[in-house]
Amino acid sequence: MTSYRLDAGGAVNRAQALEFSFDGRSYKGLQGDTLASALLANDQVLMGRSFKYHRPRGPVTAGSAEPNALMTIGSGARAEPNARATTVELYQGLVAASQNRWPSLNHDFGAVNSLLSPFLGAGFYYKTFMWPAAFWEKVYEPLIRRAAGLGKLVLQADPDRYEKSWAHCDLLVVGAGPAGLMAALVAGRAGMRVILADEGFQAGGSLLCESASVGGQPAAAFAGTVLDELAGLPNVTLMARTTVFGWYDDMVFGSVERVQKHLASPSPDLPVERLWRIVAKRAILASGAEERPLVFGGNDRPGVMTATAARTYLNRYGVAVGGKVAVFTNGGAGYRTAADLAVRGVEVTAIIDARGQSSDVGPAGVRVIRNAGVISTRGKRRIDGLVLERSGFEEAIDCDALAMSGGWSPIVHLMCQRGAKPVWSDEAQAFLAPDVGSGFVAAGSSAGLTSLSACLRDGADKAATIAAELGFSAVPAVPVEVEGEYDASFAPVWYVPGAKDKAFVDFQNDVAVQELGIAQREGFRHIEHTKRYTTAGMATDQGKLGGVNTAGIVAAMRGVTPAEIGTTTFRPFYTPVSFGALAGAAQGSHAAPVRTSPLHGWAKKNGASFVESGLWYRSAWFGRDGEKGWRDSVDREVRTVRAHAGLCDVSTLGKIEIFGTGAAEFLNRIYCNAFLRLPIGKARYGLMLREDGIVFDDGTTSRLGDNHYVMTTTTAYAAEVMTHLEFCAQTFWPELDVRFVSVSDQWAQMSLAGPKARIIMSRVVQDDLSDAAFPFLSARSVTLRGWLKARLFRISFSGELAYELAVPAGLGEAVADAIMDAGREEGICAYGVEALNVLRIEKGFVTHSELDGRTTADDVGLGRMMAMQKPDFIGKRLSTRFGLTAADRLQLVGLKPVEPDKQIQAGAHLLKEHAQPSLANDQGFVSSACFSPTLDSFVALAMLKSGRERMGERINVWDALRRVEVPVDVCSPVFVDPDNIKLHA
Amino acid sequence: MTLHFLHRHVLEDHLAGFETRPNPNHVTVYRRPLILSVLAHAGQEAAVFAHLAGMPGMDVRVCGPGEWMIVSAAGSRRAEEVAEELGALGGASVIDQSDGKVLLSIGGPSVRKILAKCLAVDLHPDVFAEGQSANMLCCHVAANLARTGLEMFEITVPRSLAGSVFEELMEMGREFALTASFSGG
Repeated sequence: MTSYRLDAGGAVNRAQALEFSFDGRSYKGLQGDTLASALLANDQVLMGRSFKYHRPRGPVTAGSAEPNALMTIGSGARAEPNARATTVELYQGLVAASQNRWPSLNHDFGAVNSLLSPFLGAGFYYKTFMWPAAFWEKVYEPLIRRAAGLGKLVLQADPDRYEKSWAHCDLLVVGAGPAGLMAALVAGRAGMRVILADEGFQAGGSLLCESASVGGQPAAAFAGTVLDELAGLPNVTLMARTTVFGWYDDMVFGSVERVQKHLASPSPDLPVERLWRIVAKRAILASGAEERPLVFGGNDRPGVMTATAARTYLNRYGVAVGGKVAVFTNGGAGYRTAADLAVRGVEVTAIIDARGQSSDVGPAGVRVIRNAGVISTRGKRRIDGLVLERSGFEEAIDCDALAMSGGWSPIVHLMCQRGAKPVWSDEAQAFLAPDVGSGFVAAGSSAGLTSLSACLRDGADKAATIAAELGFSAVPAVPVEVEGEYDASFAPVWYVPGAKDKAFVDFQNDVAVQELGIAQREGFRHIEHTKRYTTAGMATDQGKLGGVNTAGIVAAMRGVTPAEIGTTTFRPFYTPVSFGALAGAAQGSHAAPVRTSPLHGWAKKNGASFVESGLWYRSAWFGRDGEKGWRDSVDREVRTVRAHAGLCDVSTLGKIEIFGTGAAEFLNRIYCNAFLRLPIGKARYGLMLREDGIVFDDGTTSRLGDNHYVMTTTTAYAAEVMTHLEFCAQTFWPELDVRFVSVSDQWAQMSLAGPKARIIMSRVVQDDLSDAAFPFLSARSVTLRGWLKARLFRISFSGELAYELAVPAGLGEAVADAIMDAGREEGICAYGVEALNVLRIEKGFVTHSELDGRTTADDVGLGRMMAMQKPDFIGKRLSTRFGLTAADRLQLVGLKPVEPDKQIQAGAHLLKEHAQPSLANDQGFVSSACFSPTLDSFVALAMLKSGRERMGERINVWDALRRVEVPVDVCSPVFVDPDNIKLHA
Repeated sequence: MTLHFLHRHVLEDHLAGFETRPNPNHVTVYRRPLILSVLAHAGQEAAVFAHLAGMPGMDVRVCGPGEWMIVSAAGSRRAEEVAEELGALGGASVIDQSDGKVLLSIGGPSVRKILAKCLAVDLHPDVFAEGQSANMLCCHVAANLARTGLEMFEITVPRSLAGSVFEELMEMGREFALTASFSGG
């Protein structure tokens, strides 16, 4: 194993060696290395196999656009596939594994695909796997799916924590390279709140691999000086290891911070990744420019990489990418890399310049071949030579690395994520950032500038302009001298003709030039169609590296300019973001807020099983020893309530306090029934309609004073009703004096129902509760023995004599305990929402199962509540329209099975006896069903066509889901106590 | 016969069993604060607010146009008495929410970093100054946040969701060793 690490130079800590492993073999790297630079230092250029043809691949870049060096990092549950080795920060004990190869990276069986490549071009799958059609789902798709994809997901639970956080600033600077640093410095000195985010683990961007000197010191040292000053400014936040991946509405930027991805064993107190939503008044894009690869035969051989990558490995990491490096360029950048290599003693075998003429001069002693192009390369796990063509003559040149430079593309993705398209510039031969307004501007090389001094100046200028616009007085930046700049201009070369091997335009998705041609010939000419047909620019690459070349080559094929072709759409995310980061802390018990009733503790200690109802956890039933299932418990609870008494938690119902001299009139307009003359101390059942005449919600409202009411809503619609009231008061009737506030959480509310309810309640409440003193629908403030003020309502949802008692939430559990104690000798039991549901079905009371957004008051048998003599109420006008009053509408009925033990379930459809199931024959559906212990039979509520006229008719309940048909008799929906004798007891 | 009812704080189960000495970043849960909703009727907003602002021992929290909560963390006055005083004013409707809301205060050098993970509002002192308060989502729950000091905030959340908010707050404070206890021990 040869070491390619140079003796000196670079921003690596040579005193701190780090051990790591790749494919089971151990290596040594240095602190400050990326995984890729450490592997290159160890002569390991082969880092992966390509997606489709399994061709051997090495890194093409030294950054986040890397298409080839994708690896699985970590092991066990922490293994993460498809990490880019070029951005993975090396740490002691890092475990990396190559992907998409079997049995090993060096000997990959899948490489047989490469031999088949003449058949595997664009559209191959679409054309080949069409017949027989039945094979697609069973044979082809599973096979293709197994072969496709890079890396493997780990199916174990993620052991790590994630978080999301918000940040706010005057100015967000995306990228801490030359332009970004100067922008942050100027804005920071002006006193603006600045966030400077950079995806690298070391801020500085291209300054870290720059050999020029800036402000009289080496470029990297200059970056350090600026960063030191920024770190000392309290109004500046530096965010390293943070990728700004998306630009969203209202100047919110999505970013992900890799808090602990660079640690072998992350601390459990910190997240491994943190998702930031940065709200910025202004933003500067200083994301730099990407060097374009050249598209020539064999351009994917390991050891072929961009000139900038070669230069970065050299200057930043002190790694020579080869011992004999050839350079293939169309501009000054290639010469610059050759010069840096030569200075560091690395042999440069030749500079192959695609241009006929240029003012660029190669380093002393290095052969410059102009007007030439590489047409093929050779070598297996690393390039060992190339063939160039010049004026029709071919020449072979030995090399063990090839640095290529195809010009520059500003990285403008973020600015194009909200609809604007990048703009082609003939002058720059690149797509430039669009004008998206003054809120977000590009600076430096992301704005198309090419020299270091211009980038530094532009960053400072743009920040000064923004500072002035926001009213900060910017201190003029001291001009920074740059020595050793070079001319980065280039002449575009989209495709090098005469390729003797595949010339790849998208390395990650194995798309070669010919495939772009197939797409054009077959009519997939729009760049978005070309992308889908060939896969160029798909997956995590998203055109970062090859997108502009694709546009340029397609343009050349079509004989138009790249401006006419354009790019594919840039969307978040710039680089892949883990699901963990997007979910943040919202996993496990934190997945959703948990809402508990004030009687939760009481229910728990009485053996409740809970059911999730929205965010609420409601007590569903109270199991006892010896009961085999929930039905046993529910049947017992229902029987106990009907015969003795039961206590149920109804705290989850919405409760709204209503005040004002206009409150009575307001309620009269909100509800469809009359409310104007509700006496003080009385409750009334109210039905609210929507504007379209359909029932919205129901509940009771009680008058506690002249201008004071308390409304209850259903649990599900508490927030919706509150919103509805506010909307009506603010927009329809602002002249009415009425105010509301939700008190849903203030009260623990419990329903005591059953024939023994009065006896038991009287033991807790000291007021007179006789039927004369406290008749049905009374609603008053009472005093509990012990002088606790409470609200008592004589209302019932079971048909039994019942009270609802409301006490301050913190005392709920104590009061419920007291009621249970008081009722012990009467045989009281706790009952849950399941029993509550059975009790109300038996009594024919409706809930949202019936009030399902399709029913009118008349449909559910409450038509007589509609006080049409009122001047107006919400829903009055539209409830009279044709269709809502038709005689054949579905109406609420009861159903009893002919054989009482035959179960009916909600959702089943209704058919006339002997009718065939069909849409035309559909007569309605079952809305609620249960076993009624009182009737010892299954019963149901149903919505049946013209139902009220059909009492006594025998119909069929047709349940296709459970494949049962049950003959039932249509009956009144009130199964129990139709004369309300128990209610008024 | 007189019945005695034991008042139980909803966070009792979340805090029971811990005897922590407060760290620099700390959450205080108030056991029996006094919290009332005050609603001004049309045209009375300024007068009602002026009265509220002048009430000794009561802090005013803004909930919306013409709507406030008045808060006494120590709970030194009785709700009925305060409601009566404000009722006599005319122009305001008052309702006790002491049991419907849970009052927490969170403070310490990292408090803004912790709260940045819980809510979306900019808490820079130039933007959200001491004495300011507003309704906002905190840990996915409708809450009221008030700044009571440079590094001290008060959060009022609905009782039914307080456990959930509290747990998430503590989770978000984990990296800063956030501790919690009831007020007064």
